[in-house]
Amino acid sequence: MAARAQKKASPADDRSELFNEEFLKKLEYLHMVSRKTFVGSNRADRRMRKIGSGIEFADHRKYSMGDDFRYIDWNVYGRIDKLLLRLFEEEEDLHIYILIDASKSMLIGEPLKLHYAMQMAAALTYIGLANLDRVGIVPFSDGLHPHLPVARGKQRIFKVFDFLRKIEAGGPTQLETVAESFVHRYKRKGLAIVISDFYDPRGFEEGINSLRYNGFEPFVLQIYDQKEVNPNFHGDLTLVDCETGVSKEITVSKALIEAYQREHDKYCDELSNYCSSKGIPYFRTHTQIAFDELVLKIFRVGGFLR
Amino acid sequence: MNLLAPIAPGTIATVAAVLGGLLVLAYILKMRRRRFEVPFSMLWQRVLKEKEARSLWRHLKRWLSLLLLLAMVGLLLLAVLEPILGGKSNNARSVVIIIDASASMKTLDEGPDGTMSRLGLAKEKVIQLLDGMSAGDSVMLMRMDGRATPLSRFQSDIPKLKRIVKDIVATDTPAHLRSAMSSAADALRMRQKPHIILVGDGAYEERDLRSFTWSAEEVSPVTEDGGTEESFQERRLSVVDLGDIEVRYQTVGQAADNVGIIGFNVRRYISNKLNYEVYIEIQNFSKEPASRRLVLYNGDSEIDVKEIQLKPGERSARIFKDLGGGDKSVLRATIESLDDKAAPDAFALDDEAWALIPENKRQKVLLVSEDNLYIEAALLIFEHLDVDKLTPPEYEKRLTASELESYDAVIFHKYTPELLPPSETHLLYFQPSGDHSPFPVTGVLSGGRVTSISDTHPVMRWVTMDDANFANLHTFAVDRSKAEVPLAQSIRSPIAAAKKEGRRKIAAFGFDIEGTDLMLRVAFPLLMINTMDWFAGADSDLITTYTTGKRARVPLDGTYGISEVSVATPTGKKYKAPLSEGYATFFASEVGVHTLTAHEEGAEVATISLASNLSNAAESDIEPSDELILGGKTLAPPAAGTASYPQSIWLYLTLMVLLLLLVEWYTFNRRITV
Repeated sequence: MAARAQKKASPADDRSELFNEEFLKKLEYLHMVSRKTFVGSNRADRRMRKIGSGIEFADHRKYSMGDDFRYIDWNVYGRIDKLLLRLFEEEEDLHIYILIDASKSMLIGEPLKLHYAMQMAAALTYIGLANLDRVGIVPFSDGLHPHLPVARGKQRIFKVFDFLRKIEAGGPTQLETVAESFVHRYKRKGLAIVISDFYDPRGFEEGINSLRYNGFEPFVLQIYDQKEVNPNFHGDLTLVDCETGVSKEITVSKALIEAYQREHDKYCDELSNYCSSKGIPYFRTHTQIAFDELVLKIFRVGGFLR
Repeated sequence: MNLLAPIAPGTIATVAAVLGGLLVLAYILKMRRRRFEVPFSMLWQRVLKEKEARSLWRHLKRWLSLLLLLAMVGLLLLAVLEPILGGKSNNARSVVIIIDASASMKTLDEGPDGTMSRLGLAKEKVIQLLDGMSAGDSVMLMRMDGRATPLSRFQSDIPKLKRIVKDIVATDTPAHLRSAMSSAADALRMRQKPHIILVGDGAYEERDLRSFTWSAEEVSPVTEDGGTEESFQERRLSVVDLGDIEVRYQTVGQAADNVGIIGFNVRRYISNKLNYEVYIEIQNFSKEPASRRLVLYNGDSEIDVKEIQLKPGERSARIFKDLGGGDKSVLRATIESLDDKAAPDAFALDDEAWALIPENKRQKVLLVSEDNLYIEAALLIFEHLDVDKLTPPEYEKRLTASELESYDAVIFHKYTPELLPPSETHLLYFQPSGDHSPFPVTGVLSGGRVTSISDTHPVMRWVTMDDANFANLHTFAVDRSKAEVPLAQSIRSPIAAAKKEGRRKIAAFGFDIEGTDLMLRVAFPLLMINTMDWFAGADSDLITTYTTGKRARVPLDGTYGISEVSVATPTGKKYKAPLSEGYATFFASEVGVHTLTAHEEGAEVATISLASNLSNAAESDIEPSDELILGGKTLAPPAAGTASYPQSIWLYLTLMVLLLLLVEWYTFNRRITV
């Protein structure tokens, strides 16, 4: 499905230079680094490990009524007098789904958080494609936006760039709704990289849980802008939520700013702690950090590729 | 605490209420808030929920800010009221100190070596009085010379009042005691414990000293000459009621000897305008005989010197006749001691007087007539006229050949030419006729008489024509809308008229000299000289010598529509004086020659010089009066008050407002009170 035509872009949302020659060089460098990193630890290209009908022995399990007799391990039965079934590893291509938050809150920041998310998505897509994985891109806000179907092949990277450039942003963030729609649409399980600011008034837990419960492996990448953490306004103001339009008259003082910063950190820590508790890889970054640095950091820490 | 400012408490309360209301309203309405877009307002809401618990302090901070502003407004208004610390005293007085700054206060007879002026000592005395003011006393300073001038309002700021006193200078005008006392009494009306302290030398007019009463009831309804009810009311209004006012007098002055010029004037002779006579009056105010040398100057040239012996108190009037020396119009008279080694006069101001000789110039007159001895004779008696005579054909021939000399005035007798001399030449017609008459001839009266004359016009001044007989009179059409003026009428028909055409002045008489007996009367030469004077712009009624301290209206020719005149004083000061309907209001504060100049659109329109002299016997009588009797009551010297310095705190209040402003600014910028 083609991405919806982008409405007239604001000057800040100029995407023409997002994927320029410089960007491509960085991608190539990241790809080389990724190859150095993973050669040795994983000899083959990365595969999805699944217990099934492969040729490499994986494990035993008890025989149940209806199981195929051909997989009963008769040697074991001879030794311990128990019917056990031999299990083999089934190998298949890794599916990587990159979910990009394209809500209105991502249109804030310098550079825009959405642009940063696009560059991250492009980098991760390139690395995935270069490693013969299948990669699809799914923008979302309060629902799923038109997506880039899952496909493989390094040559697809330019289609990816085109797709990313045409992503239309807008609407509030609704992670739970999005996750439910996503799991219903994509039956093939795989790695689900969620790139978002996670500013969802309903919370992030249900959305991530939905991915987990449906067999996807979530990978959380939280992006924020430094000015969100250090607002530079003071005095009597009306604050307007850019997504919900809810306004609030407040008087901003230094103490209030400090309280807000604590609250912002607390919110991010909640997300971090949640991911840690569930064994979900979690990275937090602001838009001033170069995307390639972040990718290298991800490589170093691990979790994205095995 | 006392409040000094002359502002009604109700007014201040109204201003305070309005300002306070506006401030509170501004706080209620608040400022229009700026809008900021945030990505996730939920975080702010969480913060604000926490803050709600502390909202009481937040509101309190806002109230603190409002209270700070209200306090600032309150302090400012209090500062405007000029509060003083020093305790409210029921004995606080309202005092007007009148400082005599008249001419006699220039007398140098004070100080250890007698070189200090009376005004200098008076200022020291006033400063002593100010130092002795009790707490809460409010003082107004008033300068008295030819007019009363308040120098301050009622206030207790002693240092400020002292500064004002130090700046006082004496003028050359006589003291106008009645005006000063009347102004002081008016200023003290309705005030608590009113006091007037007069500091001067007592050189005041006797008439002024009698024009006070200590009770309006004392004015008798019946006068010795049997005054009416109206005159009784007028007398009650003419006296200054000093009832309920404590009046004290502080005398200054030591010397008593003075000889001064108390009258000086000059006038031209009507018959011989080139010569003039001078009147001078000198008085010896001392108790010893005095001798003086009187010197009369025209410009810088001495034109007469006389030695004068004066008995004690003697007044001597002298007339210097037939003076004609010098070519300046400014006359100066001085009196000097015969003994060159004698000490200079303590009061030098009246040793010199000034007068201006009315302007007069020699005029060249052409008589165009077949032959008329009466006119020639009338013209020949005035020595300042140079008269030429031409017959009408000769006049026409010379004028046509452009050989006619330049004349100030031309007289046409029974001849009305078409060709006229240049436009600066003034014209006088006797019985003009025909189309070229300056005034259209409307008819001829046989045996007519003059029934009325316009005696306000300079041409007809002092002229009587009632009993003159005329064989025939031409009557003229006079257009008053063109500023043409009938000079004489015979039963409402103008038989003489005058007008101005640009710079040219024209007069026309409808009678023939040969057909009247007017030329046998005094009126005829008078008519001729009046006309010549009018042509020359000389006004024999113009007074050019005035006394200082008196207001005068001085005519300035050609200044209609101009509203002010520039006055240059003898010492070079310049000020503006009002000018209305061609008359300037002149008030001289200095002895000497003043110059009045009227300008229109930057160009000088008219100028006149005026002399002014003290010429006031009461002022020249410099013997100080140790006691002063006002309205029959001897004034006591001022009583010493209980010295106390009331402290004005308006400055501190203003500083406090500034401090609060800084606090407000700091707390706002540090986000403490927002």
